[in-house]
Amino acid sequence: MPVTDQAFVTLATNDAYSQGALVVGKCLRRHGTSRQTVVMVTSHVSQGARAALARVFHQVKEVEVLDSSDWARLIMMGRPELGVTLTKLHCWALTEYSKCVFLDADVLVLCNVDELFDRQEFSAAPDPGWPDCFNSGVFVFRPSLQTHNQLLQWARERGSFDGGDQGLLNSFFSGWATEDISKHLPFIYNLSTSAVYTYLPAFQQYGPEAKIVHFLGAIKPWHCKYDRQKEEVYLGDGSTFHRHLYPFMKQWWTEYWQPVAPSFTQTYTWEDPEAQHQKAGSVEVTHKQDSFPHTGKASTPAAPKEMGTHRADTSPGDEAELAAHLRPEVDDLDHKRRWEEGRADYLGKDAFDNIRKKLDTFLE
Amino acid sequence: MCEPSLNHHHKNNQWSTAIMPLARSLSVTSLSGLEDWDEEFDLEGAVLFEIAWEVANKVGGIYTVIQTKARLTSEEWGENFFLVGPYMENNVRTQVELIEPINPALRRTIDKMNSSGCKVYFGRWLIEGSPYVVLIDVAFTAWSLDRWKTELWESFSIGVPWFDREANDAVLFGFLTAWLLGEFAAQCEEPPHILAHFHEWLAGLGLMLCRQRRLPVATIFTTHATLLGRYLCAGNVDFYNNLSNFNMDKEAGDRQIYHRYCLERAAAHCAHVFTTVSQITAIEAEHLLKRKPDVVTPNGLNVKKFSAMHEFQNLHAHSKSRIQEFIRGHFYGHLDFNLDKSIFLFIAGRYEFSNKGADLFLEALARVNYLLRVNHCDVTIIVFFIMPARTNNFNVETLKGQAVRKQLWDTAQTVKEKFGKKLYESLLVGQLPDVSNMLDKEDFTMMKRAIFATQRQCQPPICTHNMLEDSSDPILNCLRRIGLFNGSSDRVKVIFHPEFLSSTSPLLPMDYEEFVRGCHLGVFPSYYEPWGYTPAECTVMGIPSISTNLSGFGCFMEEHIADPSAYGIYIVDRRYRSVDESCNQLTSFLFQFCQQSRRQRIIQRNRTERLSDLLDWRYLGRYYVSARHMALAKTFPDTYYYQPQDPTSKQGFRYPRPASVPPSPALSRHSSPHHSEAEDDDDERYDEDLEAEKDRLNIRQPFSLPYRNKNALPYASPASNGNSTPSSATSPPSSITSPPSSVSSEKN
Repeated sequence: MPVTDQAFVTLATNDAYSQGALVVGKCLRRHGTSRQTVVMVTSHVSQGARAALARVFHQVKEVEVLDSSDWARLIMMGRPELGVTLTKLHCWALTEYSKCVFLDADVLVLCNVDELFDRQEFSAAPDPGWPDCFNSGVFVFRPSLQTHNQLLQWARERGSFDGGDQGLLNSFFSGWATEDISKHLPFIYNLSTSAVYTYLPAFQQYGPEAKIVHFLGAIKPWHCKYDRQKEEVYLGDGSTFHRHLYPFMKQWWTEYWQPVAPSFTQTYTWEDPEAQHQKAGSVEVTHKQDSFPHTGKASTPAAPKEMGTHRADTSPGDEAELAAHLRPEVDDLDHKRRWEEGRADYLGKDAFDNIRKKLDTFLE
Repeated sequence: MCEPSLNHHHKNNQWSTAIMPLARSLSVTSLSGLEDWDEEFDLEGAVLFEIAWEVANKVGGIYTVIQTKARLTSEEWGENFFLVGPYMENNVRTQVELIEPINPALRRTIDKMNSSGCKVYFGRWLIEGSPYVVLIDVAFTAWSLDRWKTELWESFSIGVPWFDREANDAVLFGFLTAWLLGEFAAQCEEPPHILAHFHEWLAGLGLMLCRQRRLPVATIFTTHATLLGRYLCAGNVDFYNNLSNFNMDKEAGDRQIYHRYCLERAAAHCAHVFTTVSQITAIEAEHLLKRKPDVVTPNGLNVKKFSAMHEFQNLHAHSKSRIQEFIRGHFYGHLDFNLDKSIFLFIAGRYEFSNKGADLFLEALARVNYLLRVNHCDVTIIVFFIMPARTNNFNVETLKGQAVRKQLWDTAQTVKEKFGKKLYESLLVGQLPDVSNMLDKEDFTMMKRAIFATQRQCQPPICTHNMLEDSSDPILNCLRRIGLFNGSSDRVKVIFHPEFLSSTSPLLPMDYEEFVRGCHLGVFPSYYEPWGYTPAECTVMGIPSISTNLSGFGCFMEEHIADPSAYGIYIVDRRYRSVDESCNQLTSFLFQFCQQSRRQRIIQRNRTERLSDLLDWRYLGRYYVSARHMALAKTFPDTYYYQPQDPTSKQGFRYPRPASVPPSPALSRHSSPHHSEAEDDDDERYDEDLEAEKDRLNIRQPFSLPYRNKNALPYASPASNGNSTPSSATSPPSSITSPPSSVSSEKN
């Protein structure tokens, strides 16, 4: 049975991070989580991005931007955008759930991680830079307005030693490092990509067991270029990835372009996966014989069989309809993103003549 | 050495006042005209914002433009002039005095913005004219970047890559300046007449947003160069002959600057009035940005007036002797040339080998070297390349040269002391000294040792520093190819100083201005030079220069002076000639210059210096005034009036032609004065008044404001009256009429 009082929570503070959140949601769903999925968005996230997120998440919840006023320290770190990550604290106000797992928008979920809900508040994995601190990219928590208020008060009174949410949470949950080992999540639940550089042999030894990869640092997967034909990822400035990171970047992009599966329905069950599996197979065949030959194709080889089971619960036209809705939004996001990667289509639709036409609309 | 006798020509002390001889002799610099005109155009309480990334923030040359122009603009606009720039803590600490805004609407504007998550500062910029500055902290508002980029995308379909930091700053700065202007308009009690002048693409987005939000703001956009121009010129293409053939979108896109290019071109497209800094940039903009400028607004300088007449000649002599000292050290052991017959040339600027024309210069130097040798000239040319490159500090050999020179000097001083003492003692006892006993063996030993120390096997070095990329350096490689190695038979010697000059340098302790004053000729044969402050600076210091008709300065001078080379303004034709022909022309300029006598050079420097007023903001500021009035008249036609257009002229902007072609004898006289070395003492042959009279014929009255009422022309001379501004003769006072046809190319 789907568990309705537990949820995975992520956060998008702008359209760029919405792309990351979208992938988090898609991965969770593709790996068949039985929990609810929630994305918190701030006012900076456009309607288009919200619509795209709404297709993937059970709940899209707008939260108010909470800026850390510690500007000096944020700017010192050269990461002024971190200020908004304090909005993360709002997840404690999601009291309709009894327990949640928070995932940063820049993680890639590689398999079903529902077992995280067996842990208690406050469970997290160590930070690679200072292992006595936890990394706040993945953590288990229990929503509570009381805790929420305490955190806000803490923030107001003591600020955060790194200017972001991680410093704040670490000083608030200061017993994490020593008190209860069961609250230490294994590193494979929050495998920082920087580990490739800091401890390569360990990465080679344990990396294949990774369950969640966390793209720390300034370069996020959505900053890279992706060639869908060749299925290759590269950086805008011509530099290259560490060869051990490349597969993750590529997988992120594969997930990004996965067609969005339709919503869960209440009738959907995970009690008998075998039966579902067989049922799915037969339905998929029926679809192919229907007037929607492309729907079968849309389920790319990378997509596991569960994808088909979703389809079983929707009417045949749903996916096409969804795709039609989603496409222009994704297209516009993608179009803007191409500019932001320095890949404007200057010989085609982005030619200055087209920009001039737009300018002329307000120049009388 | 300079000719001090020339100083006594004018007994009246006119040079010490604001009225220079040039002003007296020419209508050009009748500065009173400016004030008269201002009264005529009532600004009606308009407010001027001038917006640039380089306000109180030195990055490149635009800083100089804004900083020097501020005084004149402050005088014109008083309390209603505000410069807007980015807040940079270091700069503010050193050059801005923060104060409370006096203008109540602006105070409310800044308070409002500061309470809405911005950091906006107000103060006085501590430069000449101490203008008000509004400084905006863009980093403080960085959290809005994504939202604003989305708005940029939705409004203009232009995106900005996350990795282009400068462009991201431009987005923040643009939205913040538009916010400032919009808020200010809202805070004004009466509908305001706001004029906003934006410089360069970095400020361009603010202009676009003003138009898109339909703010009551008259906008001017000035490009000091185009983004693509510099790239294309450096890229080995025949730029000027292919101007019309480039696919701009492709060129910009291929160079990864498409978003910047779009911002620049969109700003030019949206502006009420578009200006460039020179005719050559006007042509460039017409092709690259697809808009012809409405006005060309050349860059000026604030000319320093000396109280003593010909003081600049004395300064030249003083600085020259310091350069000579340096040369003595640098060429120790190889001083086989006459320093008094040496000509000091220099090229200075950003190290862009071909854009700055270093390639052409080196080639011409090789040819001059040959010419001087075959003609057995006793003149030696010493060329300084002042272009900063990556170095590993001074090289030991050059420092040693100065130490050796110092040692010789000290030895000579010691011997002199002893010699003087013996002489004195001998005279005290009433005897004439016995010269053979004046110096003893010890003295000779000391002197011999000092001389031995000056021997050196190697050639005098070319480069004063250890270059990091010695083997790939374009100047050094070119010198290797043309074989200029400072050999003793070479009449052209080269010194490459790959660092900016500084008065604290242990090698050549002179600042740039001192150094320029000590040289004979500045050589700037640039291929790409939108304006060119370096030759302009030479001119106001009375140092002749070589520039090209592809530089803004060269175009401007060519247009205003009938025989520029007589005034020490040599202009190489790089536009209509092949590289080889240009090189020959440059060679002949250099050769010709070498053949002048000292006296001819002094006269030429006097002439050069007399052109300074032409480059003074007091004069050049008028073009800005004209652009501002045009923008106000276009945006607020109910308040400001101008006549629509003059259908007869075809071009966007034209200077009036001179009354008559200058008499041809002036050409030959100036280029090769009749004086010779033998006549040096014959002062009467050089008559300042006569010279000034010749100037009147040779220098055009360069700019008559086209929409000015004819009766209001305070300096209208019969000569210039005939063909200037007849179209506006009937317009009423306090009105503004359009410059000929500049509006015909208008898009907005």
